[in-house]
Amino acid sequence: MVDAILAVLQRPSFLTFVILFLWGFYIMVTRYNLVKKLIGMYLVQTSVIFFLVSISVKKGATVPVLLSTTDPVIAASYANPLPHVLTLTAIVVGVATTGVGLALCAAIYQKYGSLDEQEILERLE
Amino acid sequence: MSHQLPAILFLLPLFAAISMPVVCLKHRQWSYSISVAVLAAMVLVSILNLHNVIHHGEIRYVFSGWTAPLGIEWVADGLASVILVLVSVLGFLGVVFTGSTSPKDLGGRIIHYYTLILLLVSALTGIVFAGDLFNLFVFLEVAAISSYALIGVAGGRALFAAFRYLILGTLGASLYLLGVSYLYAVTGTLNMSDMVDKLPFLLSSKAVVGGLIFMFIGLGIKMALVPFHSWLPDAYTHAPESISPILASLVTKVAILAWIRIVYWVFNASIVINDIPILLLVSVLGTLAAVIGGGLALAQGNLKRLFAYGGISHIGIILIGISQGNQTGFAGGVFYLLNDAVMQAGLFFLAGMAFYHYGIRTIDDLGRLGKHSPWLTGSLIVMALGMIGLPPTGGFFGKWYIILGALESGNYVSVAAVLLSTLLTLAYFVKLFEALFRQPATQLNVQSGDIPFSFKLTLGITSAAIIILGLFSAPIVQLLLDHAMPPGL
Repeated sequence: MVDAILAVLQRPSFLTFVILFLWGFYIMVTRYNLVKKLIGMYLVQTSVIFFLVSISVKKGATVPVLLSTTDPVIAASYANPLPHVLTLTAIVVGVATTGVGLALCAAIYQKYGSLDEQEILERLE
Repeated sequence: MSHQLPAILFLLPLFAAISMPVVCLKHRQWSYSISVAVLAAMVLVSILNLHNVIHHGEIRYVFSGWTAPLGIEWVADGLASVILVLVSVLGFLGVVFTGSTSPKDLGGRIIHYYTLILLLVSALTGIVFAGDLFNLFVFLEVAAISSYALIGVAGGRALFAAFRYLILGTLGASLYLLGVSYLYAVTGTLNMSDMVDKLPFLLSSKAVVGGLIFMFIGLGIKMALVPFHSWLPDAYTHAPESISPILASLVTKVAILAWIRIVYWVFNASIVINDIPILLLVSVLGTLAAVIGGGLALAQGNLKRLFAYGGISHIGIILIGISQGNQTGFAGGVFYLLNDAVMQAGLFFLAGMAFYHYGIRTIDDLGRLGKHSPWLTGSLIVMALGMIGLPPTGGFFGKWYIILGALESGNYVSVAAVLLSTLLTLAYFVKLFEALFRQPATQLNVQSGDIPFSFKLTLGITSAAIIILGLFSAPIVQLLLDHAMPPGL
């Protein structure tokens, strides 16, 4: 048990990811306000993006532009651009989803005059 | 030229979708004709592509000259080409059906409505062809975002259903992305055919198992597998009548295709059967879905809700087929997927027509309909035969191969589940026919003219397709066995 806890503490960025993900998930499940649910959803998305960034960290590496064209290329001295590009795309996807979600929230508020899930459900009955 | 077909198939609806707001600025009635024309062209090109793939082998489309694994590639193999014919034909029928049923109060927004439909079809094309795990994620999300917006178009209760779908769907997409990043962290590649070479040496890593499980849960939400199905009935019931057929027949089925790709093409058959027995889990959940979906359908009174739960139970049957780990079961599962997509489209066309033409939403109203429509009753009978799985419909042969596959791998619980789900399907269609042919005390006073041509066309084609898929089941299954089998199965 102690070993397991110590092993987790060795990986602070992974721990942060788990906390962020579960926090977002908790908000999505427990809050009745639709905008709060969206915030939870955004937290879940961001936590996954955080995970992608955290696994691609390379200490002592620089931007992936060749320092010299004559020396042999040493892969360890350049950061891998792929995870960062993935992150950018995932952020764009997240923004689009949040945009549609907020538009739906606005339409629901205009229609039912409330953003509380339980009040809306009562009105739907 | 022929090796460009996958890109042409994707660009046709995408280009039409993007140029729609400009082209139709002055003439908003053009948007319908343009969508129909583009999707008809897509049907022809997809059949050409299938013919080409069968005769000349699979096409690996490389974007802008960057070969895999560095660049992004698309794979048009037998399976993808067959599913793409299905996507384009059902997309075409869905848009034809939209002509008489699009929501009336849209006004100028009708242009954006068709834009979203075409965007959905192009995203589905992308999912079918994707040979790269992250590319698959992007197209899954494009398809999902278009679906949320299209469901929300109906207004009222649909807004709330769309919001719930959005919350759950995004959770599913995030879990899928998490699974992809686990696998990326282990293998250092995102390309499917590159990953399949690297994974067999990395099976001791827990991240591989974790990644596979996260992807399964994520895609499980997208395909409405039973513990994660709660978004589907509300979303499809309240969606606009013209959108439900496209969503019900294509979105969940294409998510199953994505899952098939990951299980059999990213991992391979021997890994998922022996080393990481995920197929066992899929088979158990499929069994549950087949029975629970059928049972819940029995309790529904609303037509669209009934068909939505029927769809949930059939997703279980497809998963039982593909998770048996032998060729017969796999071919049966894919063949049943084709049939189920056609049947779901037909059933939601029928529900849409019942509402638009007769104003009927529930089973009881169906009974109180004074005069019987031959189109409604006739197509309902054909679709019921298909859903229950009686010969000569395609549903029978699909279930037949699935059961043969399950017997081959000695999985008798799955056989029992398919049979039980067939009985439940029979039960809810008996309920439907009992209502339809009963002589009720009160009759609805329905004023209706001639049935519009688009209703006749869509119902006629889907009903005919259910029979044709059954009559030609042997060549189609043989084609799947010859050209669409995963390597190593």
